[in-house]
Formats: sequence, structure tokens, C-alpha cells
Amino acid sequence: MVNLVLISHSAMLVEGLRDMVVQVAGADVRVEIAGGTEDGRLGTSTTRIAAALRSAVASGSEGTPGVLVLLDLGSAALSLELALEELTEDERARVRISEAPLVEGAILAAVQASVGASIEEVAAAAAGGSTMTKLLGS
Amino acid sequence: MPEIQLIVLDPSGLHARPAARFVQVASRFASTVRIRSATREADAKSLIAVLGLAIRPGSQIVIATAGPDADAAIDALVSELSPFVSREIPGPPVDPAT
Repeated sequence: MVNLVLISHSAMLVEGLRDMVVQVAGADVRVEIAGGTEDGRLGTSTTRIAAALRSAVASGSEGTPGVLVLLDLGSAALSLELALEELTEDERARVRISEAPLVEGAILAAVQASVGASIEEVAAAAAGGSTMTKLLGS
Repeated sequence: MPEIQLIVLDPSGLHARPAARFVQVASRFASTVRIRSATREADAKSLIAVLGLAIRPGSQIVIATAGPDADAAIDALVSELSPFVSREIPGPPVDPAT
């Protein structure tokens, strides 16, 4: 099963999002989170992100198709890039980054992952979050 | 191609959790599974597509399956949705003798 990594400036945001993901998609999907700075402020931490990435990559056994990363805004991308540099080439090769909005993308990706889909399918499901319909007639 | 018409009863419509469970169940089958609302149709194996129907309480939906396990798929889906829907008009015609 594809594992997810959720990155946000806020630890509370990704903790809450993980709760939502588990409730909607089920507890089988593995969700690692990296929110806030190491001293508990709003911001992103390369160390936290690298730890979450490593954990997601490591928890995937041989058959695991990979890891999809979703992030919020601004410096999350920069911190993610730095965290990726800390991984080995093999680890990096199993990680894919999603441009999807964090909440929508995480839910869509998790449900797709929960049915045993490939990393390509999970990434495509998340990408749908950029344009998803929320209101009837919109 | 089995088909069944249902009325959504849940006050929130077919919201994220039941929609996700529906997609998970549909994905277990080889058959194609389509869900139709009054105006739109979606692949029931895609959460984005199902949520995109924006199914509201009281609305009618039709579930249609086609493929080798079409009957088992429709049974499983109706069973999964049972807390949220009322079963209105069954797909196959009812034999009046039974």
C-alpha cells in the first residue's frame, strides 16, 4: 500500500488531518506527519520532514509501491527539498511529491491507497483535489 | 447489466465517509461500477468522481454494474450503503406470482 506524508506549518493541522484521513479511508493507510518546528512553533522543520519521509519509506516493505508527499504552503516546499537531500538515492526514488491542495489531496490519495492502488493512481487521485466540486452546480 | 435505484436518506447526503467506503467496496470488484445522480454520472471507483456528484439528501441515485462479478458487486454496494439509503425500485422486474 502507498504510504502518505503530510507536511504543514502547523502540527495541529496535520494531526487533525491525519485523524480525518484515518476516519474516511480507514486505519490501514499509513500516514506520517511533519507539522510545525521542532520547538513547537508554526513553521516547517527539515528534520521533522526527513524523519517522516524516512519512516514512510522504511515502513513500506518490498511490495509497497511508494510514498506520496502532500504539503501546505511556501517554505514547506523548501524544507521538503532540503529533507529529500538527506535521504539516500534509493529512498528518494520511492518518494513522489503532490501539487494537490493538502486536505483534499490527502483524503483522495488515502482512499485510493486504501484499495491497493499504485503510486501513479494515488498521485492522480490526489491531483483531482485541485479542481474538485464541492457545491452542487458549481 | 444489473442496476438499482436508491434514495439517499442521510441528512448529509452521500458525504465523505460513506462515499469513501462506497469507493473502497466498488474497487474490490472487476466489474465497472457507475453511479448516476439526476444530472451526472461517475465512476464509482473514484472518490473525486463520486464526491463530484454532490449527492444531496433526498436525491435519487442509480448504481449500475457491468462485468463478471456485476451481481455480487451490486449486492455488496447496496449492503454498504444500506444505512444511508432507502431501496426504492429494484432493477429486475418483480414476478407478481412470488
